[in-house]
Amino acid sequence: MVISDRNTLRAELRKEFPRDRGQLLPALHFLQHEFGYLPDWGMEVVSWHLGIPASEVYGAATSYTELRIRRPGEHVLRVCRGISCTLNGADELYDSASGYLFSNSTEADGTECVTLEEVGCAYMCGLAPVIEWDHQLIGRATVASIDQLLPEVSDR
Amino acid sequence: MSSPTEVLNDVQSRALDRELTNREKTRVVVQVDHGSVAVGANLVASTLADTLPESAYLVVAGSDGASFEAPKILVTSPEGQGSVYTNVSPDFAGKLAGNLNMRSEHDQSFFDSQKRVALDLAGEISSTVVDDYLANNGYSGLAKALTMSPADVIEQVKLSGLRGRGGAYFPAALKWEGASKAIGTPKYFVVNAEEGEPGIFKDRHLMESVPHRILEGMIIAAYATGVERAYFYINAEANLSASRIRLAVDQAYANGFLGRNILGSGYELEVEICRGAGGYVCGEETTLLNTLEGYRREPRLRPPFPTEAGLWSKPTVINNPETLCSVPFILTNGPDEFRNIGTDQASGTKIVSLSGSVGRPGVVEVPMGTTLRDIIYDIGGGTVNGRELTGVAVGGPSSGVLPPSELSTRIAPGLLHEAGVMLGAGGVIALDERLSVLETIRSLASYNAQESCGKCTPCREGTPRIVDTLDRLIAGTGSRSDLDELRYLADVVKTASLCGLGQAAGGPITSGLKFFESEFNNLVPY
Repeated sequence: MVISDRNTLRAELRKEFPRDRGQLLPALHFLQHEFGYLPDWGMEVVSWHLGIPASEVYGAATSYTELRIRRPGEHVLRVCRGISCTLNGADELYDSASGYLFSNSTEADGTECVTLEEVGCAYMCGLAPVIEWDHQLIGRATVASIDQLLPEVSDR
Repeated sequence: MSSPTEVLNDVQSRALDRELTNREKTRVVVQVDHGSVAVGANLVASTLADTLPESAYLVVAGSDGASFEAPKILVTSPEGQGSVYTNVSPDFAGKLAGNLNMRSEHDQSFFDSQKRVALDLAGEISSTVVDDYLANNGYSGLAKALTMSPADVIEQVKLSGLRGRGGAYFPAALKWEGASKAIGTPKYFVVNAEEGEPGIFKDRHLMESVPHRILEGMIIAAYATGVERAYFYINAEANLSASRIRLAVDQAYANGFLGRNILGSGYELEVEICRGAGGYVCGEETTLLNTLEGYRREPRLRPPFPTEAGLWSKPTVINNPETLCSVPFILTNGPDEFRNIGTDQASGTKIVSLSGSVGRPGVVEVPMGTTLRDIIYDIGGGTVNGRELTGVAVGGPSSGVLPPSELSTRIAPGLLHEAGVMLGAGGVIALDERLSVLETIRSLASYNAQESCGKCTPCREGTPRIVDTLDRLIAGTGSRSDLDELRYLADVVKTASLCGLGQAAGGPITSGLKFFESEFNNLVPY
């Protein structure tokens, strides 16, 4: 089911989450899973449902690194910049991706097709360097792995 | 009424019976974990599932820790002949399914000098079916614990000298005792599998390869503390770990290890799985409690300690999966057996996440007291392509960097080196000339600055200023006073911060200034 308005979202939340402060993170995860990020109106509904001030919901939402308050691009490419990955060439991967996206990716309406991010660690240091494409981790990545991923989605 | 041991014997023998139906077949183990999936293990597993002949059966295991060999397949013939295939492709898996007698040479040097307590059986037994763990004497520690009084269980663990493996190395038995004596009910137990520390990936390994060992340790610990409700808190990104733990919890309920009347003992424990939402500081125990209660990721003032007032202000024990994985061993084999491993001051093993410039990176388990040299050279196979080792980053962003001259440093709980380098959660990253020590220190410092939650001023203001000062120095526009400033900032952050993140954030700087003084001095003109 596609949740498009406050009432449907509120009904969904009522089904899934008891009205208890401890449900804040599970509810935000649910929201992010539905929309790919946390829309303002969605956070407001969470705040009604759980009886937590909207400012505190926003405060929590912005304090956790895995929660997004901005809509990401259609695809998300993350490059790990941990020590092991940097040692094994993560800078080159990042530069290659950002170079490619700089010249190719912005769509006509101004939204990004690919969001490029750095992460502090992807927790697979034994398989460095690591990149993540739409939540799929790729170990022992090379510039070639990036060259394979990006043109497919941005040459449109 | 039958005793827990008898009930367990029943469950174990039923598991053995199920295993026996496969006795005439070739056992094919494919190691699928978050790491190997990133290099194609899922495809290997699905190819095997589609193409294996009737004469073989497939077991999906976690990883044995050898990241450099992933994806990996282990084949054991009905006669007990074993072969190992490393770095396999789906194509190869298809060919192997057609000819399971294919021979292969396997170099065991990664495993030879390890001592495996927590990681025992990892990568060999199924991580999705409980039978393998049961057939290997699984849950025996729990059955034994349930025949003892909670106080006796704590006594056993006290005798073993087990310390928490999350980074603070607080004696586990004291924590349990504290919570069991604390006033207030209900009491809670939290498994801290947040593991958000860069360079460390051991808890994921444990959750994905021996999920039932963590649960067994958790149930024993909860019984010892008198807890009836536990929360298993898993990092937001560790999806595979979460699904394996979820599966294991369901199986534990189904087999009578969780729920009401565990193994007929009358003891009751319920478990709930929770997910984090990212952030290094979430692994700090009071921050984790805030996360569970729906607050921002900020630490709390201590005291009161969680054992007195933790989750919803009730007595709470928080343990790391690695700590819990040693508990079944202690109960099954006795505390003396555990004390025999490691050194007089520090018993047991430590799981080290080994990466960076080593030929054989991965998750390794060694006795306490093992030297960094043994870890990097004997197990890790030395630097990649024989490059020169320029330093070793120990313990993640909250510890420090040691020079090659300090390789005989032995791993120990807490402080490794009088220069303030700590073991932390056990990360060892070997550095070579591809990344200068200064860049490494800057990278660690900038991670600390980014992850600072902002609650206390020394950390919020101090960590970015450390990064700014380092940047100035590295750019060549710094002066000698910047070096003093760095030393001063590191000291302030260490002394005045609220939680472990800030208190350790000065570590990379202090150790860097001590051991790599000339590199720092070269950055300033006179």
